Amino acid sequence: MATSRSSPGPVTWCGIIAVTCVLLFLFQKILWLVVPFLLALVLYYLLAPLARRLVLAGFSNDFVAVALSGAFLLGLGGWLLLLYPWALANAEGWHATLMRYLAGGYSLIDGVLTGMEHKFTFAGNAHLAETVRARFTAMQEHFAEEYLGAAVVALGAWLPSLLLIPVITYFLLKEGANFRKFLGEAIPNAYFEKTLYLTYAIDRTARAYFLGLVKLTLLDAGLLSSGFALIGLSSPLMLGCVAAVLGQIPYVGPLLGCVVAILVTGTDFPGQVGLAYGVLGLFVTVRLLDDFVFLPAIVGKSLRLHPLMSLLMLLVGGAIAGIAGLMLVLPIMGVVLLLGETLEMILKDPRLRARHAFAVALRKRAAEVDLTAAG
Amino acid sequence: MVFSALREKLESPTLARLREIPLFSDLTAGELRIVDNLLHERDFVNDEIVFDEGEEGQAIYFILKGKVLICRQGRPVDGAIAELSAGQFFGELALLDDAPRMAQVRAAQDCTLAVFFREDFLGLLNTHAGIASKISLQLSKHIGRRLREAVNRYVV
Repeated sequence: MATSRSSPGPVTWCGIIAVTCVLLFLFQKILWLVVPFLLALVLYYLLAPLARRLVLAGFSNDFVAVALSGAFLLGLGGWLLLLYPWALANAEGWHATLMRYLAGGYSLIDGVLTGMEHKFTFAGNAHLAETVRARFTAMQEHFAEEYLGAAVVALGAWLPSLLLIPVITYFLLKEGANFRKFLGEAIPNAYFEKTLYLTYAIDRTARAYFLGLVKLTLLDAGLLSSGFALIGLSSPLMLGCVAAVLGQIPYVGPLLGCVVAILVTGTDFPGQVGLAYGVLGLFVTVRLLDDFVFLPAIVGKSLRLHPLMSLLMLLVGGAIAGIAGLMLVLPIMGVVLLLGETLEMILKDPRLRARHAFAVALRKRAAEVDLTAAG
Repeated sequence: MVFSALREKLESPTLARLREIPLFSDLTAGELRIVDNLLHERDFVNDEIVFDEGEEGQAIYFILKGKVLICRQGRPVDGAIAELSAGQFFGELALLDDAPRMAQVRAAQDCTLAVFFREDFLGLLNTHAGIASKISLQLSKHIGRRLREAVNRYVV
């Protein structure tokens, strides 16, 4: 650690929490911009080493930015062009597959609930199996009009904003260094050396956090895919990747991933409740490994937040902005924490403030040197 | 090479100015561009304080224009140690650790300084070890020269 930084005081903490909440509230209003920006940031951090190599090889910054972001845009465009006819051709089959997996999952749950109703009187009185059956039948009948249409509209609405990713990445690659300089220019000389640390720390925090999440997702995907393959589920790699990506959404993500895997288990192995417990055990194991081994080792303490504070802020983030809030609250708070700490450090240093006042007076005097009224 | 036409053959005025700094004298044009991306240019007015004695050092300063005075804390007249001009640098020990600054530095004229942050230098050690080692070699030579001068002064 370059600079010894004491923990912020209670007033600063209140400010940090308040600013984080306000930012979350504002960001959920412009999620169409925030999400592509964050994805572009991840892409920028992934491409940055290659960009540096190309610059070192003698290519200009501008050329490297155009080449890398252009290559990504072409790849994304090509993938979408290929995806569209393929999706149209297979839509019918997907619907059937989805309904098959839902039915498989339902039969598994129905089996468990019916078993419970036979064993426990209170479960029998609650008529859980009957309620679930009625809801599933209703969902199956109205699936297309209630869910499919909304999903297609949501996908259509998000597609243009996702095309912003290569554009934002281009500007980050091209102007990343200049942006840091631009921010630095706004800081007075007296505070410059102290606050220069800030831009570096924010960059390092964001890099550690986002690249850490990418590594964690890959690791989870590998573990889950291997586990699914051992259990004998169909398409273990795809299932592992989907569950790992979903798992990066705090709290609800792992649960969603687990539900998807249990649906597949119920379909592939009808009536074998033991295997569903196996899948559940796999998810719990991977979650424990994530929380106690991988997260500290990969993402580390990059955000420097107390676990209890992280937990509370996740709850607050979820309450303010839902799933987006859960995903955004920790990185936002990490950055706001650095800003708050730096601001507190500057405001509490009377020498720095005196030096700044002295510099302002010197500049004023220099500007007025030939403006004295003649005798 | 197909892409050779896209490479920047000519050195910009900024890069030429950086090359005059002894610490960067061994760097190629591509390497200088990478270093230039990390430097911050700051303008100081005459008599403005660059840093104080005893302050935690975070960066090395290169003089691009003007002069600076190195002196004892708050004693620019009777505590003057040295005056440095364009092409020279100061605060170099901050590249190595965050030990307190050994003297105060004030602008002796209106001047422009380029600031190179230690964290960026440490980053270079990881991402571009070649650049960092060239800078380190020049820095070692500079510190060695200063040490010899000090020993000679002491012995004489």
